[in-house]
Amino acid sequence: MNFQVRPILTALRQHKAGTLLIALQIALTLAIVCNALFIIHQRLGNLSASSGVDEANVFVITNMWADMGQSTSQVDAQVRADLIALRQLPAVRDATPASGYPLRGGGWDNFVTMTPEQVKPTTDAAVYTGDEHFIDTLGLNLVAGRNFRPDEVMVMGTQEAVTPPTVIVSKVLADRLFPDGDALGKSFYAMGATPTTIVGIVDPLHRQGVDSWSNGYAGQALIWPLRADDSRGVFYIVRARPGQLADAMREAPKALYAQNRLRIIDSKDGIQDYATIRHKVYDRDRGMAILMGIISVVLLAITAAGIVGLTSFWVGQRRKQIGVRRALGARQRDILAYFLTENFLISVSGTVLGIVLGFAFNLWTVTRFAMDRMSLAYVGAGVLVLVLLGQAATLAPALRASRVSPVEATRSV
Amino acid sequence: MFAYYLQLGLRSLRRNPALTALMVMAIGFGVAASMITYSVFRAVSGNPIPGKSAQLFTPQVDGWGPQQNLKGEPAEALAYIDAMALMRAHEAKRQTLLYPVQLSVMPGGNRDLPLNANGYAVTADFFTMFEVPFRFGSGWSAQDDDARASAVVISGELNRKLFGGANSVGRTFNLGGHDYHVVGVTSHWNPRPRFYDLFSTSGFADEPDIYMVFNRALDLQMRSGGRNSCRGSITYTSWQGYLQSNCVWITPWVELDSAAEVAAYRRFLTNYAADQQRAGRFGWAANVRLRDVMQWLEYEHVVPPESRISLAVALGFFLICLVNTIGLLLAKFMRRAGEIGVRRALGATRREIYTQYLVEAATVGLAGGVLGLLLTAAGVSGVGILFQPEIARLARLDLSLVGLTFVVAIIATVLAAFYPAWRAAHVQPAWQLKSS
Amino acid sequence: MLKMTHLSKVYRTEVVETYALRDFNIDVKEGEFVAVTGPSGSGKTTFLTIAGLLETFTGGEYHLDGVEVSNLNDNARSKIRNEKIGFIFQAFNLIPDLNVFDNIEVPLRYRGMKSAERKQRIMDSLERVGLASRAKHYPAELSGGQQQRVAIARALAGSPRLLLADEPTGNLDTQMARGVMELLEEIHRDGATIVMVTHDPELAARAQRNVHIIDGQVVDLAEEPRFHAVKAGNRE
Repeated sequence: MNFQVRPILTALRQHKAGTLLIALQIALTLAIVCNALFIIHQRLGNLSASSGVDEANVFVITNMWADMGQSTSQVDAQVRADLIALRQLPAVRDATPASGYPLRGGGWDNFVTMTPEQVKPTTDAAVYTGDEHFIDTLGLNLVAGRNFRPDEVMVMGTQEAVTPPTVIVSKVLADRLFPDGDALGKSFYAMGATPTTIVGIVDPLHRQGVDSWSNGYAGQALIWPLRADDSRGVFYIVRARPGQLADAMREAPKALYAQNRLRIIDSKDGIQDYATIRHKVYDRDRGMAILMGIISVVLLAITAAGIVGLTSFWVGQRRKQIGVRRALGARQRDILAYFLTENFLISVSGTVLGIVLGFAFNLWTVTRFAMDRMSLAYVGAGVLVLVLLGQAATLAPALRASRVSPVEATRSV
Repeated sequence: MFAYYLQLGLRSLRRNPALTALMVMAIGFGVAASMITYSVFRAVSGNPIPGKSAQLFTPQVDGWGPQQNLKGEPAEALAYIDAMALMRAHEAKRQTLLYPVQLSVMPGGNRDLPLNANGYAVTADFFTMFEVPFRFGSGWSAQDDDARASAVVISGELNRKLFGGANSVGRTFNLGGHDYHVVGVTSHWNPRPRFYDLFSTSGFADEPDIYMVFNRALDLQMRSGGRNSCRGSITYTSWQGYLQSNCVWITPWVELDSAAEVAAYRRFLTNYAADQQRAGRFGWAANVRLRDVMQWLEYEHVVPPESRISLAVALGFFLICLVNTIGLLLAKFMRRAGEIGVRRALGATRREIYTQYLVEAATVGLAGGVLGLLLTAAGVSGVGILFQPEIARLARLDLSLVGLTFVVAIIATVLAAFYPAWRAAHVQPAWQLKSS
Repeated sequence: MLKMTHLSKVYRTEVVETYALRDFNIDVKEGEFVAVTGPSGSGKTTFLTIAGLLETFTGGEYHLDGVEVSNLNDNARSKIRNEKIGFIFQAFNLIPDLNVFDNIEVPLRYRGMKSAERKQRIMDSLERVGLASRAKHYPAELSGGQQQRVAIARALAGSPRLLLADEPTGNLDTQMARGVMELLEEIHRDGATIVMVTHDPELAARAQRNVHIIDGQVVDLAEEPRFHAVKAGNRE
């Protein structure tokens, strides 16, 4: 190709303002687009995090007791009767009582210490409670040890703090507490006076919440063999037989009301399948990803259109000049190359500023909202996208320029 | 003369429809993105009780100590012991304690199923301190607090469900197995963010159905329907044990009218904590806070990070749209350098050229504002896919947002046009005419 | 009317200084019709742009209608251009976006005239150049001669005391050029002062007086009697 960079730079000096504006626009666009890409990728990563639950077949009933004056034994009797009724339904494979469930959006968690005297906690774990059906009901993957035995399941009343002697933990928690991989049979303390001993390990098991503060404790959870007979209410987690989720969700409340009508299962969100639960808990993440996606697309479109507009203007302004060049022997592709190179130089200088601005924005989110640091890959991707976009946007006006007839050189106006 | 410039501007805009459309779209999208995210930000960052936000304070007392507290900050609520001590001391003109309760209205009348009723256990001052509006009746008295009365205030919504919206003051109904008598029915009251309970809510929950006497809830051993946070070993096995634990679950509020009162209350809090240390209950020096409503909202990070980040990104987006517009206006104006030269030769002053082009830009801004308004309206109604429903619901297109959309669009475009118009006004008439 | 004494105009670039006008002296009386001639690059167009206050000058004095203009600011210069001077350009310089009527209206608008008066003046001046029927046409729809006549109408509409013409027939064929020239002479008879730059000796011959510029300086040929004779001859 028959062009040089220096004459282009000299020519650009004649269009300082236009050059600066395109470079600035590219810089700002890069800063926002690479951060947006980063946020989208992160949020989508959250969205696809595995809960460990057999989500296709599991649903949750939020059951509140109307009569709050019941004793723990009265509640326990009702819960047991309810579970028998649920498990007898033809569409239901299994059911368990619970005080919370993965992706609920927040709930019970306890600090974990290795000794009872230890004041500063070792770490934090989400606490799940259930009976010996908990693991089968959620469809958790037991990777080591054993399930709870029915005789291990204890009752926890409304005002009681109970620490069962046995516990099943998530693999992430097991590895955190016992990095040598020998967690099975070991004990720890979870805000109780007595230790609790690991009898089984499941993998994976998501926490109840998805807040960013708990990112440091991601995947750390424990399950205690407890029927939490709270006088206010209980969650029933139910696993339908494959393909019978809808039937099970329709039959379950009927079976419960047949047991006892003094309960509240909210008509709006009293029964939720996991698709709904997941959708709800990731509202923020999904919304953020969508917003960033929309903004990125519109932004790139506007920047491209802006480059087309300004380049067209330059081409229009330089028609005579182009004609002269053509008359002096420049080939069409020389003219094309001239404009593409010009845009390339502007884009590259813009991206340099853009990289700085992009990292500055990321730094703000890191310090202000404890978000993660952006890796260079996103900036690299952003630079690539913008340089290609610039070239593509320049192509149409540059092609028009290359078709300027040498006759233009002789026109006076 | 303005009409003449307007006419010239419109003519010029019609001349390059593609360029004009591009600028209008850039302004429209930019202003709409900013307005949509701003409408959400405005909703979550507003002052929920403007008249009194500087008089209402929530005291915090560190009952966990430096090893277990929140990186040096006391817990965000009080344990029962501390809450009751503050209440008994009565150092503030008005004070209240509160915690969320979950109740159910037992079947009765033509309802054969129980009804969910969420609300708060509060003390008598709650209603006056927070200026709760009443449709019927009023709150209860301090005597009712002391008498542990079964009085309740219910929301207009619950009143509609239970009593068909009639004046139900004096009526009785069964909540979770106990009878309560209605003393007041509120008008719609749901300040957002819900500054008074940021311990258990993110600030944007639905309106509470019911307010009951704090002491009555304690008598019934009602556990908090909201958050409960403890440290160390949890060993309690009874209600009494729970009350004596370090678990925090009660939010206190005090009303202090002057700087002197605030200082005095702060002294009182410090002295209280110091007394606890002397008594051996706290093994650390007094660590207390007294934050007013706005400080409390800030401390509790009520504005979701998503809202701030998306506002920042949207403003950046708008800035890019403006830079884009500056470039396009420059191109558009300078393409007409010849015309500018002629006008200058025919006696137009720089100011007249300047005004002409700013008016042209303002018409672009106006058109951008119209487009922006349409997009904002669409965006605000579709904001549910971007933010959580309870927050998205707060974003509204009201008159002030409409006005702001136009003002921002026009001012921003005119600002963007300053440089291009300046360049246009400084076109040398002679050079342009000679070169032709 | 127009008096320049020891006027100079220097163009400076990074490397060289070029004198476009040097010790330039000219005195045009009220009501005169002066043709300025000279070879290409002699400085005649520079003279015209300075005379029309389109450009500033470097040294010397310039009195326009008795006013020393070198100290005037941009606004005052705009006002003088608008009220006292009419321009006719070689390339017509009509605004393509505006129709004939609107083009002529431009200087009147800047003078802040009432709509009725503007309309009256526009129609009068169009009448005068014989294009009253073309008020709604756009420049692109007119022939070169018609465009130049619109430009003259625009210059006339403001009733200027001084008319400055830069090669007014340069872009026109002979027949059209003749029409334009006759129009200028008619305007002159009605009392306007006209300064016309041209390199066409035949055209220059029709002016009352010729000023010749070479290398940015004036060679005054005003006293040569044969020009008057030619002019008188033409008139018959």
